Amino acid sequence: MRRGRLLGGSLAALILCAFAGLLTPTLAQEAIVIDGSTTVGPIAKAFAEHYMAAHPEINITVSESGSGNGAKSLINGTCHIADMSRFMKDAEFSAAVKKGVLPVAHVVAVDGIAMIVHRSNPVQNLTLEQTRGIYLGQYTDWSQLGGPNQKIVVVSRDTNSGTYETFEQLVMQKQKMAEGVEYLGSNGAVRQKVQSTPTAIGYVGLGFIDRTVKALTVEGIAPGQETVASGRYPIARPLFMFTDGYPRLGTPLHAFITMHLSLRGQEIIEAIGFVPVTSY
Amino acid sequence: MQLGTRRLLDRAFSGLGFISIGLMAASLLVILTPIFVRGFGAFVFQGTIEFRRMQLERFERGDRDEIEAELTTARRARQPVYEMLDAFDTEMGEMGFLERREYEGPREELEDALRELLGPRPEDPVPVMARDQYGATRWDRAREKIDLVLYRTEYDYSDRTRMGVPVSVPRVEDFRGTALEALFDYVELHATEMLRPRWTLYLRFLTDHSIDAHFFGGIWPEVLGTLYLTLGAMIFALPMGVVSAIYLVEYAGEGRLISLLRTFISTLAGVPSIVFGLFGLAFFINTLKITESKSLLAGSLTLATLVLPTVIRASEEAIRSVPTTYREAALSLGASKWRAIVTVILPASLPGILTGVVISMGRAAGETAPIIFTAAVSVGKALDFAKVKFWETLSEATPALPWNIYNLATEHEAVDEIRHVQFGMVFTLVMLVLILNATAIFLRARISKKLRG
Repeated sequence: MRRGRLLGGSLAALILCAFAGLLTPTLAQEAIVIDGSTTVGPIAKAFAEHYMAAHPEINITVSESGSGNGAKSLINGTCHIADMSRFMKDAEFSAAVKKGVLPVAHVVAVDGIAMIVHRSNPVQNLTLEQTRGIYLGQYTDWSQLGGPNQKIVVVSRDTNSGTYETFEQLVMQKQKMAEGVEYLGSNGAVRQKVQSTPTAIGYVGLGFIDRTVKALTVEGIAPGQETVASGRYPIARPLFMFTDGYPRLGTPLHAFITMHLSLRGQEIIEAIGFVPVTSY
Repeated sequence: MQLGTRRLLDRAFSGLGFISIGLMAASLLVILTPIFVRGFGAFVFQGTIEFRRMQLERFERGDRDEIEAELTTARRARQPVYEMLDAFDTEMGEMGFLERREYEGPREELEDALRELLGPRPEDPVPVMARDQYGATRWDRAREKIDLVLYRTEYDYSDRTRMGVPVSVPRVEDFRGTALEALFDYVELHATEMLRPRWTLYLRFLTDHSIDAHFFGGIWPEVLGTLYLTLGAMIFALPMGVVSAIYLVEYAGEGRLISLLRTFISTLAGVPSIVFGLFGLAFFINTLKITESKSLLAGSLTLATLVLPTVIRASEEAIRSVPTTYREAALSLGASKWRAIVTVILPASLPGILTGVVISMGRAAGETAPIIFTAAVSVGKALDFAKVKFWETLSEATPALPWNIYNLATEHEAVDEIRHVQFGMVFTLVMLVLILNATAIFLRARISKKLRG
């Protein structure tokens, strides 16, 4: 009998707990929630770690789900900062304004999109025209581009990605990609695919170039911090963090969103491989 | 003849059974062996002096004097390397412009490789990122870096009909006849003195927070997140599941509506987990707004809906399998229906219910898709319920093992540098599920023994 009452009691308590949970008030004050681009992700993660080291009472969480999702989260009010590797689209802007969210863009760094191939690929340079041709399906074999007689495996970012949007604008000139293109969900995934497929080509942000892949020169210009900063590398774009309105001065959010202006912030951006925003 | 055929078929059938069991065991072995071996490597490995320096500076662990003395010894062994580099720089200063340009690239590559092996030079300013502040902390990584110092991989593109063929070129060839020629032999011979590898047991990998996006440190936020999410899911799913099962078995009749309901529950058990994830985002976060963004609470609720069908099904079966005589005996003694259920039937079916809970817990701990949109983040602090406000912690997002394994394996900017952390996470997750299951099996055995007599 006692056991029965105990069991019933604890069941009731648990259910009560569950419903009390449903009435929970909103987001914690000491938290900054960041969502969005996988390209900006490394910057946000490094900033978060440095900020939390100095302010242990603040919890900053970073998700990397793509620029499109970042914008959605900001519009829905589920994040404080949306990392985006492209500017907000018209539709996103109007959706945000309709919901009372006023997106403010903060350019935190500049990035170039590097065309990467397997290290065994003899091709060294592509023109913008050739790059577009590959993604349009006009070039299907490396021999058409001065390489061996092998089919090209074309790898792109998914359409939710800001890197994809930038690529579509700067390289594809809004033309549709060919049928056989493989879409992957993050910079890291594209790099791994290219790393393991000798005939593949893909594109990633500057911070994701490493020894395991070969970055091609585009129009004879190698992607790098110097060529992007000077504007010579043709496929470059700014990286954004969006907030709802300009954050109130003195708040942790303000301190965080202005970190890229500090010397330390710029050092971090440079160490990760992107180009800090200064007067060059 | 007929008997012979039957025997043959019989034998063929059992043979097939044996083969499939063997295949299953083999594949399990193929999957689990590397997980255990390499995952173990996250905890037990040959740590270098750089590892001990990192532990001292970041976690204040180890005997300061001892480590500093060891570091001095190691740095003395490294000194010739830097002296040779400096001598070469002087040499380069005396070269003509064209000759100097030829050496600039290889020298920079070499210096980068050396920095990855030994860390920055002691007199240089401290780099801003933790990943650049230390050399190779693990001997297995160090060996790869030594290789990088000694050789560079060139590709031979001479055959235009094929992809290039990798050729390993000793870097010493680049610096023949210069001050750096002796450096390579020196590094090869004195690597152990420069890094002083020693077997290290790093149990705190489990309870350390990560440093610089998992380059160093451990996986505590992920472990804790997984535990809380699993626990949270069970807190919601267990009472609801058991109550529904009681209703379905004891109170509901055999009407059309009820059989429809049963079909729904069975169907729900087969719905892909990503659908639950999207449902959780749309329902708990965007519609109900229980929390403003991803949170432990939203994740737990989503996981609860995911495992609910399993819990209901298992509990239903368990309650149904209680002999009718128990029920009749209880009722004949004058107990009400509710009392009979609570005092006789539920305790008797507890082992079966627990089995369902075990299975669901393992599933909840390992699921990735439902928490992508509702709870998991790639970087965040370990949840801390000791904070003043309980609800605030509940509404925070958290890293969790399954999601971060995926994140580290695909999205991380330095995937190849931190393979040991990935394997460590996978190992921990597998062990966590094993321990959860073992505990529950043990519990179940004890309860059923107690009930029997």
